[in-house]
Amino acid sequence: MVTTKINGRYKNWLIALFVLLLAGASVIYYLFTLQYDDTADVKADYTVNAPAFLKEFQQDMAGANKKYTEKIIVVNGMVSAIEAADTTANIKMIDTATGAYIIFAFQLQHLNEAKQMKAGDLVSIKGSCSGGHFSEILETENINFKRCALNK
Amino acid sequence: MKKTMLSFALILATGLLFAQKKTTTSAIINFDATTSLDKLPKADNKTVIASLDTKTGKLAFEVTIKNFAFSNPKIQEHFNSAGWMDSDQFPTATFKGNITNLTAVDFTKDGKYAVQILGDLTIHGITRPMEGTGSLTVSGKTINATSDFSIKLADFGVNGGAIAAGKVSKEPTVSVAAEF
Repeated sequence: MVTTKINGRYKNWLIALFVLLLAGASVIYYLFTLQYDDTADVKADYTVNAPAFLKEFQQDMAGANKKYTEKIIVVNGMVSAIEAADTTANIKMIDTATGAYIIFAFQLQHLNEAKQMKAGDLVSIKGSCSGGHFSEILETENINFKRCALNK
Repeated sequence: MKKTMLSFALILATGLLFAQKKTTTSAIINFDATTSLDKLPKADNKTVIASLDTKTGKLAFEVTIKNFAFSNPKIQEHFNSAGWMDSDQFPTATFKGNITNLTAVDFTKDGKYAVQILGDLTIHGITRPMEGTGSLTVSGKTINATSDFSIKLADFGVNGGAIAAGKVSKEPTVSVAAEF
């Protein structure tokens, strides 16, 4: 009788442990097989205009970095330059007065959208903001974006 | 007056002719810290700022750490966290150096030239001297620079359980490509 009770408790503990391990393994599997969503399908945290956005970084780099870094942002502005290679297509919006610029590296599935843009086009680009900094090489501010897509 | 103007124009023209600093804002760095246990820790950064002075051989790179794009959000979060690159505190990595065998490169003649590079690499706020090799491919007015090397994460104060567990390489490989 006593042995049966102990066996029953032991069995329950084993089941609980098994469920716990299974849940843990599922969470780990989920986290490490997770992929970034297509940025085109992600809701933007902010929508900004390129000149005002650049100005905000130029006036308060630390504050702007805190506000925008790792956020999904839609930037509306004019294409100043396209820097494309086989596997990349970066779009730049440049403040001609200061040389400061925003640069957008496009997500692989959206490379063609970037390659079709031309200098002077008015565009709306959505991407993940990686923050801004002052470049010692170029002696001006720049703001970087990754995983970008044309905002439709 | 005419002579002064002519001299001024000559100085300006000479200055422009010898302004040999070429820059790009779209150099690419691939970072690969994968191991047999984990294929996820690899990323690329496509908005690297680089400069090359073809007259002096001076070479420089600036990398925004947060612009390394990983496929997995969790790995990206770890990479930027305080225990790793701590990109809030150290937002950029830099290289400042020189091509030490610049005489081996003829920038007026198309071809691929092997170069020796010597300089200081700063990652995670720690600066270490670095010596490496690379190549410069001259094609008309375009110069393509490439270099592959590895870094010891411990040298730059980057340690962690994942490295000890063999899930992240102790010496990731880095590939740099810049078109000037």
